[in-house]
Amino acid sequence: MAKYETVIGLEVHIELATNSKIFCSCSAKFGGEQNDHVCPACCGMPGMLPVVNKRVVDLGMTAGMMLNCDINRVTTFDKKSYYYPDLPAAYQTTQWFAPVAVNGKVRIETSKGEKFIRIKQIHMEEDAGKLVHDDWTDTTLVDFNRTSVPLIEIVSQPDLNSAEEVVAYLEQLRSLLRFAKVSECRMEQGSMRCDVNLSVRPEGSDKLGVRTEMKNMNSISAIERAIAYETARHIDAIENGTEELVQETRRWDDIKGMSFAMRNKETAGDYRYFPDPNVMPVCIDDEWFERIKKSLPELPSVKKDRYIDELGLSEYDADILTQSRALCDCFEEAYAVSGLVKESANWIISNCMNVLNRKQLTADMLNIDGKALGKLILLVADGKVGHANAKKILEAMFDEDIDPEAYANENGYIVSNDTGKIEGVIRAVVAADPKSVADYKGGKEKALMALFGKCMKELKGNCDPQVLRELLIKIINE
Amino acid sequence: MLYMNSDILRRLQKLNQLKLTDSEERDVLAFFEKQSAELESLSSAIDTENVERMVHVMPILTVVREDVVVKNFTREELQAGAPETMDGYWQVPRLVE
Repeated sequence: MAKYETVIGLEVHIELATNSKIFCSCSAKFGGEQNDHVCPACCGMPGMLPVVNKRVVDLGMTAGMMLNCDINRVTTFDKKSYYYPDLPAAYQTTQWFAPVAVNGKVRIETSKGEKFIRIKQIHMEEDAGKLVHDDWTDTTLVDFNRTSVPLIEIVSQPDLNSAEEVVAYLEQLRSLLRFAKVSECRMEQGSMRCDVNLSVRPEGSDKLGVRTEMKNMNSISAIERAIAYETARHIDAIENGTEELVQETRRWDDIKGMSFAMRNKETAGDYRYFPDPNVMPVCIDDEWFERIKKSLPELPSVKKDRYIDELGLSEYDADILTQSRALCDCFEEAYAVSGLVKESANWIISNCMNVLNRKQLTADMLNIDGKALGKLILLVADGKVGHANAKKILEAMFDEDIDPEAYANENGYIVSNDTGKIEGVIRAVVAADPKSVADYKGGKEKALMALFGKCMKELKGNCDPQVLRELLIKIINE
Repeated sequence: MLYMNSDILRRLQKLNQLKLTDSEERDVLAFFEKQSAELESLSSAIDTENVERMVHVMPILTVVREDVVVKNFTREELQAGAPETMDGYWQVPRLVE
């Protein structure tokens, strides 16, 4: 059997993290009541003129720079003909002739080593609305809330050859764009969507096979399954002539584990792109360009190396922290305040992550004040607050903006140095539990821990454990 | 020469979801033929050698706006002229793809 090579190019749509839509001031927020985030411009009323949202261009440039692209300093918008009621103007405003960014590359790593995936272009465009098919009235219902929500489309060259490479590429895109706060890139909410262009050819051939485009994969694992299925279908068609391969758009059905033909693939000519006469060219001057360039974050890979080499963190810790910009920011602030590297990393990786998991939040959603966390770490390091109470303070920091020390004072979490009070508590506990006292005296070390625990509970954790232990032993032995 | 013939015209009708009558088709083709001739005379009269391609027909740049949400219209206002609505949706003939 001949060996085959899969050739894959990706079109990745990313929803930009803006407040308002790309060409009008309506909210771009996800959800809302149907047709609540709309105006005459985004619902396609005749005579309405688009006005470009500056933040969209900022984020388009940021994405371009993060993916090593050249930025087109004069970038233009074009109309793409499109007859479907989810875009009421009957065209999509997008970029064809001069997209914001071109000729980039993204480095990926797989089991076969390092590889660079070339980026053909990144263009800015508007999203389409939502259609609901109503069986009862046999009509289609249209919601324009998503219409004109800003997107970028990242088009790769056909440089990917396996599902593993596709996954590595998507994860790298997601990491870079989340770091630069371009988008949350959440596939399950549709803020990152991916179309897979795939063809198969005999290994060694330089001629591309018939290409199909697959849509509707809403998770990375679904993309992996879809690529495996489609590759097998192409090879089967070539080897056994089971069907004739045609250039078409196919829909992936993840439940059936199969792809289905949707429509013959339009060619670029069918879209009849032409310059949008309603949106003048956007000129990115030196000042604008430099402002965005200066705002770029340190790349996650560079950060990771710095954490290991300069701060002495383990590779494991550095790896976890650099998975999210929010974790890095919080860590760096906490470390700047506390001066304690390992403790700052530990508090985020164990305690903060625990709270996030319990609240079913992702690492990117960590929104506590890093400086306050630094103060809390210092309170613990200085023995002013016990571990158990420090965790309660951390919990409160997730819900409100608090100063850890003030909060500890208000709630009685400051460790007491009042030995008279501690002694009083110990004497009461010892008097109430003569059995444990006798057990300890008889050589059972565990009995001491039971007494220690009871004392700590009475003191609500506000006691230096070392002091408590010493006093407890002293009083038992009196 | 502007490129138009009956095959392209049929393809365009399909893409634009239009149906022209035979006489309309003849009119459109005649129109394009005339336009082509005029454009042809222009392109032979004007020397465009070494002239850079235009980015846009207007010699002005766009204005941009800040990323601020403003709500100027209610759904009821926007749907006041809609032929059919249902539960806050615009209602259109069923689409099957």
